Amino acid sequence: MDNFNQIALIFILAVPLFTGGALIFFPRNKIGAIRTFALAGSLLTFLLSFYVFVMYDYHEGGYQFVGSIIWLMDPLNIQFSFGIDGISAPMILLTGIVMLAGTMMSWNIEYRSKDFFVLFMFLVAGVLGTFSVTDIFFLFFFYELAVLPMFPLIAVWGSTTDFGSFLRTKEYSAMKLTLYLVAGSVLVWIGIIALFIETTNAGAGTFSIETLSQMSEDGVFSRKFQLIFFPFFMIGFGVLAGLWPFHTWSPDGHVAAPTAVSMIHAGVLMKLGAYGIIRIGMTVLPEGASGWMPLLIGLGTVNVLYGAISAMGQRDLKYVIGYSSVSHMGLVLMGLATLNPIGVTGAVLQMFSHGIMTALFFAVVGMIYERTHTRDITILGGIAHRMPFTVILFAVAGLTSLGLPGLSGFIAEILIFVGVFKTSIFLAILAVVGAAITAVYVLRLLGKAFFGPMDSKWETLTDGGPRELITNGLLAGIIFFVGLWPMPLLRVINSGVAELLARYPI
Amino acid sequence: MITLVHFQIVSAALFSIGLYGVMARRSAILILMSIELMLNAVNINLVAVASFLDPDRFAGIIITIFVITVAAAEVGLALAIVLRLFRNRATINVDNMDLMKW
Amino acid sequence: MGLMELAWIIPASSFFAFVGIIAFGRRIPFVSPMLSIGAIIVGCILVFVVVMGRIDADPTGIDFFSRKWFEVGGTELMLGMIIDPLSIVMLGLVCFVSLMVQVYSLSYMRHDPKLAWYYAIHALFAASMILVVLADNFLLFYVAWELVGLCSYLLIGFWWEKREPVEAAKKAFITTRIADVALLVGILLLFHEVGTFSMKETFYQAQLLGAGEVSELSSGTTMIATFLLFIGAMGKSAQIPFHVWLPDAMAGPTPVSALIHAATMVVAGVYLVARTFALFEAVPNVLLVVSIVGLVTSLLASTMALVNTDLKRILAYSTISHLGLMMLSLGAFGYTAAIFHLVAHGFSKALLFLGAGSVSHASNQTDIRKMGGFIKVMPITAITFGIGALSLGGIPIFAGFWSKDEILIAVFNHRNFLFLIGTLFVGFLSALYMARAFYLVFFGDLKNENKSVSESPILMTAPLILLAIPSLLFGFSVFGSDEGYGGIGRFIFFENAHDFHFNVLLGSISVILAVVAFGISKPLYITRKFDLNRIKKYFSGLIRICERGYYFDQVYEWFFDRIVLVSSRFIAWLDRAVVNDVGVNGPANSMGWTASKLRLHVTGKVYNYALVMVLGSMIIGSVWWIMVAG
Repeated sequence: MDNFNQIALIFILAVPLFTGGALIFFPRNKIGAIRTFALAGSLLTFLLSFYVFVMYDYHEGGYQFVGSIIWLMDPLNIQFSFGIDGISAPMILLTGIVMLAGTMMSWNIEYRSKDFFVLFMFLVAGVLGTFSVTDIFFLFFFYELAVLPMFPLIAVWGSTTDFGSFLRTKEYSAMKLTLYLVAGSVLVWIGIIALFIETTNAGAGTFSIETLSQMSEDGVFSRKFQLIFFPFFMIGFGVLAGLWPFHTWSPDGHVAAPTAVSMIHAGVLMKLGAYGIIRIGMTVLPEGASGWMPLLIGLGTVNVLYGAISAMGQRDLKYVIGYSSVSHMGLVLMGLATLNPIGVTGAVLQMFSHGIMTALFFAVVGMIYERTHTRDITILGGIAHRMPFTVILFAVAGLTSLGLPGLSGFIAEILIFVGVFKTSIFLAILAVVGAAITAVYVLRLLGKAFFGPMDSKWETLTDGGPRELITNGLLAGIIFFVGLWPMPLLRVINSGVAELLARYPI
Repeated sequence: MITLVHFQIVSAALFSIGLYGVMARRSAILILMSIELMLNAVNINLVAVASFLDPDRFAGIIITIFVITVAAAEVGLALAIVLRLFRNRATINVDNMDLMKW
Repeated sequence: MGLMELAWIIPASSFFAFVGIIAFGRRIPFVSPMLSIGAIIVGCILVFVVVMGRIDADPTGIDFFSRKWFEVGGTELMLGMIIDPLSIVMLGLVCFVSLMVQVYSLSYMRHDPKLAWYYAIHALFAASMILVVLADNFLLFYVAWELVGLCSYLLIGFWWEKREPVEAAKKAFITTRIADVALLVGILLLFHEVGTFSMKETFYQAQLLGAGEVSELSSGTTMIATFLLFIGAMGKSAQIPFHVWLPDAMAGPTPVSALIHAATMVVAGVYLVARTFALFEAVPNVLLVVSIVGLVTSLLASTMALVNTDLKRILAYSTISHLGLMMLSLGAFGYTAAIFHLVAHGFSKALLFLGAGSVSHASNQTDIRKMGGFIKVMPITAITFGIGALSLGGIPIFAGFWSKDEILIAVFNHRNFLFLIGTLFVGFLSALYMARAFYLVFFGDLKNENKSVSESPILMTAPLILLAIPSLLFGFSVFGSDEGYGGIGRFIFFENAHDFHFNVLLGSISVILAVVAFGISKPLYITRKFDLNRIKKYFSGLIRICERGYYFDQVYEWFFDRIVLVSSRFIAWLDRAVVNDVGVNGPANSMGWTASKLRLHVTGKVYNYALVMVLGSMIIGSVWWIMVAG
């Protein structure tokens, strides 16, 4: 079994890549075989991700399942090294879950389904790669690999929003998303090169995160260097995390994307940004992080309030959720910026919780859209009469997002609040207010779009089938599980966060 | 006594006339002819400098032969293009040749 | 000790009933009421067991039982129970009223297709309310508190097919949620200072602070935090200005109203203040605020109750008014009195609501102007309703009388004269509106359209009778007996136990007022000895204000529609038009515009290119000339 552990992460990466690669050679019209094969690949990936999460030894902590292959020798010294710690393990699990759910929810895609699954698999492989490598070069490589398939996925399979006065074509959204993320990664790239140059000047240029953080501990990076280059990571990755005011790609992107892509996108891809800030920014540049955190926590607060208030003013179901993602990612950023164990743990838990929750949100909205062909809140009304289970699932996601106890969002949010309280009472109060605004828009949404008397045009609606209900039911089950008994997840996160924050003064 | 300067004056005059022709003419043929003028101005210059500076070595003269060869090939190619253009558009006015402008 | 630890089963059984109903309720028809009622019966039995354990244990102490829930960054968060007289009394009330309401619902809701769902939420409601009562740390308390809010949302919005309940449910949840922001901030403030969510530790620090010793709590923070906790309590207990959700909550099924109003949701706020009384006592200024809010709430609410014509709304306003009294009593250091009144009111109000449900179930209406003479057709309901009304009106020997008396004494001892007059006036109004409702519904002539009304089935009347008994007799618990029970003042108290005492002057004034109120009601509303319309005309302006509920709803609606929604649309527009279209598309568009202008230099004219080439060479040449050659 030990031998397997050494290559488990390679397997996790290889399975979606292989699935995607093999799907290319499938005949285009064998849709059934394509779906089955994609599902098998997703299932295997999920099981592997579950396996590494369960097998991660939180007593020991640190990077586990490590391995390394030399890719480029001196002087660049790039190694394909991988390993997961207490922060990336939950993220891998999250990706596995959302990927499986996304595949299940993409079952009905008829148009070019082969191409869809190929791109989808590459997207997931990119995400998984980013979470599991410990070399900045490859982290960046996989990060880009995750971003690029989004463009065709949105531009080809997406949907256009048209309210007459308000038009967003899917091509526009895809373009905006890609440009934004590439612009963000340019900043990150500059930062990475700066790190490399600085380490080269110190004697040994390296891309390895472990070596970098060791060197950082030895004082290779001066305070000035850290203060100059931390913002590159903060803003660069922050763009992906929906940091205000670089968030506008995210609601548009969420809305235009097809269901499964929205799920991956909001559920996992946005977490890549926060993860990047943790993995490179906070690990390697602690002094820079300490110096810039007041800004990040402030912007996070703006995210929370701005996202929540904007969500209240939306008409499109998906836009509401898109803006709520902006709001919740603000909580993640706030939690990270506290730099204390409770806040950061809360942030990582919120990343997980929000991932599952948004995936559920988008899956349910996808179900509704598939049946009603509209996402306009003012047109939907009383569909709970015909789609009770769907609406219950939506309500579960909504209640999670407003931080109802017993659901995963609450634990994460309360931890973040406690953490932020230690930093700034005023901002913490604003964050709590933001959570209350979430309650307002979620409840208005539920009341307006789902409950109340039914419009006669929805007579023929049908509730979700077993495939959809089971998938989403499982997502909801995870939300309940984490909300009631967060310890299995928190143990792992605790170990990672303790290591991360060991170098910060408390 | 004819000095190097006289050759250079002739060469410069010829070059200027050719340059003026390239810039002022609209007809592709005339532009080509002006280019030939400029090339020949260069040739005169090369030959003159070569023989005045060091008559024993004829590097400049060899280059001139190269230039003449290349110019001939170039004119051949250019005339072929002009011919095609004339076939297609019934004009050789370069003002009309702006298909790839923007 | 051992017996008390069983208390965790009380919420757990109801919670598992909830899970069980969700899992099986739809398949097997009668399983859901059985599970839910069974769980609550188990709860009731266990309450007795816990009481037994409690009596065996140290009678004055507080027992805590904690288990680790999760741990983060070295901070452990616990799940635990607090067992003391306060929580036991509340447990008993919650379990008993929940049981009565659930039994009652068997008949009341039997035709409803969503019966399973109904009982599922009921079970969850009971579980979370019990958890509120038992929680020994603020985090768990907040968890349960929010769950109560959720359940009230689900129960009020039970008939979600109609627009009105959905709106009411939303209003209830959002209003309480806004108050909960304050509660959460208060809890976090305390955590920030004390370093733990544990109530035990927090109270200990508060007592140190109150005694002027070295404490982790600073007085400023404690004052703010306590005030914030009180705002949270105001939300749940429907104190002005957070009261607006409660009358609307009548849109839910009537048994739900009974449950929410009597024993569970609304008293959670009072319970919170009582539970954290150690904090409040450390900062007495907040207690003054508490008593002022309580008094104002009870005055305004009782006037609204007096002019309303909807039976359920009258009861709703009356609930608000009595919750105000409890708050007033707490604010006047009347800890025992408040809890006593809470329980007495709980029984009576549950009884009244179930009675009102019985009336409306039989006659399909809730407007008291269309009722009258129902005593002839539904005597059991009438008598039990009457007991409830008399108890709430404060007529001697009924439970409400004793508790009101305790409150009066507390107010008399600790607050000034104005408070006392206000309290007496509230007592008078309270008797008057109860008498009005009682007379208008049950006396007078039976109208023709109501001829077909008949008494409700036994499943509905039995809970009424069972609730009437404590409404009638509970008051006698003020007196001690010889066997170790020294009256309620020696059972539930904060720091100082006290015996029952009766202030003759206050007592007689309040009795006279109550009797007068009941006395004048009959000639006023039934036999019409006085010309009611003339009185109405005289006070027409005042009555209109009361009928409109002092315009709270209108102001909030205006605020929400005109300020909140408009500003949210503005922000949403800002995000689209300014941040996106200007901030994001702007650079892209300006880049495109620049390019479209710049490309004009490519004219497509050969001689232009040649000219530029020549000029360029000349410039390079002259630069070379100057820099190198010259």
